[in-house]
Amino acid sequence: MIVALPFAVGGVALLVCILVCMVRLSIGPTAADRAVALDTINTLVVATMILLGAAFNEVVLLDVALVYALLSYVGTLFIARYLEGGLD
Amino acid sequence: MTIWAVLQILILILIVVGSVLAVWLKDLLASVIALGGSSLLLSLEFYLLQAPDVAIAEAGVGAALTTAIFVLAIRKTQRKEEE
Repeated sequence: MIVALPFAVGGVALLVCILVCMVRLSIGPTAADRAVALDTINTLVVATMILLGAAFNEVVLLDVALVYALLSYVGTLFIARYLEGGLD
Repeated sequence: MTIWAVLQILILILIVVGSVLAVWLKDLLASVIALGGSSLLLSLEFYLLQAPDVAIAEAGVGAALTTAIFVLAIRKTQRKEEE
């Protein structure tokens, strides 16, 4: 598969950002730090999916990013409600 | 080695890091968060391998459902793992 070079370089840059967030997810002192790191990784993965959808030049691939962006906040919502002491 | 291979290798390294963290951490909530990150990147890897429907299923089950159910289970039991 031939991917244009700027798209691939952008994808690698976004993955380096995900790597930095993964460092925070591993060393984060509190669970809130880890939850924020997970939410940032969510956003970066959606951005990577849209970038690669543009690189492959297929519209179908954008639907995955759309569904993912609609679903990804649920986990963060549950973690936040647990940290606040709710969820009964 | 093309930059395409660099992309895939980076994602696979991140999946392994997330999975090791999910096993290694003693705080179960942090472990669930690490599992969520690992599942997220697995979905991105399915996406890169040209399987968008599998990526949608993995995103729905792995990101939303699994995290919510694990957090509910931790709420009912205890948060720290016993030695």
